[in-house]
Amino acid sequence: MPLGTLDRTPPPFFKQGATPLHKLIFFSCLSVLIMFCDVRWQLTQPLRSLFSLGLAPIQWMAQQPGVIALRLEDFFQDNGQAQKETALAKKQLLAQSLQASQADQLQLENKQLRSLLELKDRVQTTGQVAQVIYDAADPFTRRVILDKGAINGIHVSSPVMDESGIVGQVTRVYPLISEATLIIDKNHSIPVLNNRTGARGVAFGESGGAPLLELRYMAANADIQENDVLSTSGVDGVYPPGVPVAKVIKIEKSADSMFARILCEPLGRAQGVRHLMVLEPVGIDLPARPEIEVVKTLSRSGGRR
Amino acid sequence: MIMPRGQQLLLPAKPLFIVLSLFTALLLNMLENVGLLGNAAWMPDFLAVVLLFWSVHQPQRVGIGWAFILGLACDVHQVSFLGQHALAYTVQGFLATLIHRRLLWFSVPSQALQVLPLFAISHAISMVLRMSLSGSLMGWPMLFAPLIEACLWPIVSVILLAPQRRAPDPDENRPL
Repeated sequence: MPLGTLDRTPPPFFKQGATPLHKLIFFSCLSVLIMFCDVRWQLTQPLRSLFSLGLAPIQWMAQQPGVIALRLEDFFQDNGQAQKETALAKKQLLAQSLQASQADQLQLENKQLRSLLELKDRVQTTGQVAQVIYDAADPFTRRVILDKGAINGIHVSSPVMDESGIVGQVTRVYPLISEATLIIDKNHSIPVLNNRTGARGVAFGESGGAPLLELRYMAANADIQENDVLSTSGVDGVYPPGVPVAKVIKIEKSADSMFARILCEPLGRAQGVRHLMVLEPVGIDLPARPEIEVVKTLSRSGGRR
Repeated sequence: MIMPRGQQLLLPAKPLFIVLSLFTALLLNMLENVGLLGNAAWMPDFLAVVLLFWSVHQPQRVGIGWAFILGLACDVHQVSFLGQHALAYTVQGFLATLIHRRLLWFSVPSQALQVLPLFAISHAISMVLRMSLSGSLMGWPMLFAPLIEACLWPIVSVILLAPQRRAPDPDENRPL
């Protein structure tokens, strides 16, 4: 028998280390502990950041086939389509140029009026473009991973939008990447304003799994119609005011409930989008919230014994 | 190690190859996510298959500790609860060490049949944790994942044992 066929170092007979059962108990307890810290106290962010840094090269490699495919697609794109796209872009530019030229004038006018009224200047927000790397694997949460992270100056709770409206909000920031929860996630809520009536409300992600929003806690007789556009109200100190969010598509009124069930369709494309804009949260510029005064209860009658 | 009669004597496994195969499996898992099949529930977990393979074939080298660390990496990448995959892989690694002496005496197809419950248990743990923590129930397509993983077992066995099946004394007539 040739020498190469065998391991040169025989397996240890007596020094076997911890038994599998002990290892099982130890690592199970450790993972349950980590899970508890993660869910209850959100303490595990440093651990997550560490792992995400370690995973970054592999993630980069996993991205490459998609990048190459896109380049090939661009390369073989025919002339006709390119011309079509250019024509469309020109049309859009023409349509927007009028608004843009008016916007300057309106802004100036607005500024003067505001100074007349001595209102605080409207909060300006800045943003940066990020690319979606992948959707989170869990089919029941709606999250995407973006390719900008803490080193690019992304903050937790930054609003994320595309060209047509709000898409979501950054919920976790790693050094190189960040995770955004979409507005259609069932645990996500966003304060909105009906553009037609000015009524405020809160839109939640639809819990049924469809990519829709639900405008909850609106009275059954509230003035709301289909095709009403909802935009951000800006009261939350996170989203800039006046950005379109969703369009009402269905209103169900039932006799046994005080509230109407209002379904809305998000205007920003939640799925299949490649580039997104991450804005600075408005709250960074806002003054600190006043402390809520705790009203002391006067029921002291039970104190005497 | 006592081996079944008539089986080829294998070369020792190279640690670098083991590490490389585990990272390749992780890469394949990420490709599933980055690609179009983003969040389909039935997609197999390549990392679980390769991890189980090595903890059966090389229990001295790849054990429960590795399973735990790679599980955490998987959790971070998939944005699930930190520790969800770690627990699933830990239990799977423990079950693998229980059956590793017996399993290699069987033919590869019947090995696949015997590792199927292990994959199913690993997926079940992961699903129960997700359900209890976030209250979302996975659909029935999820049942396909362990089946596909068990079907991958023979393929993985051929690929990952290939370097060990090379000739111990390569010459011109038999370079590999």
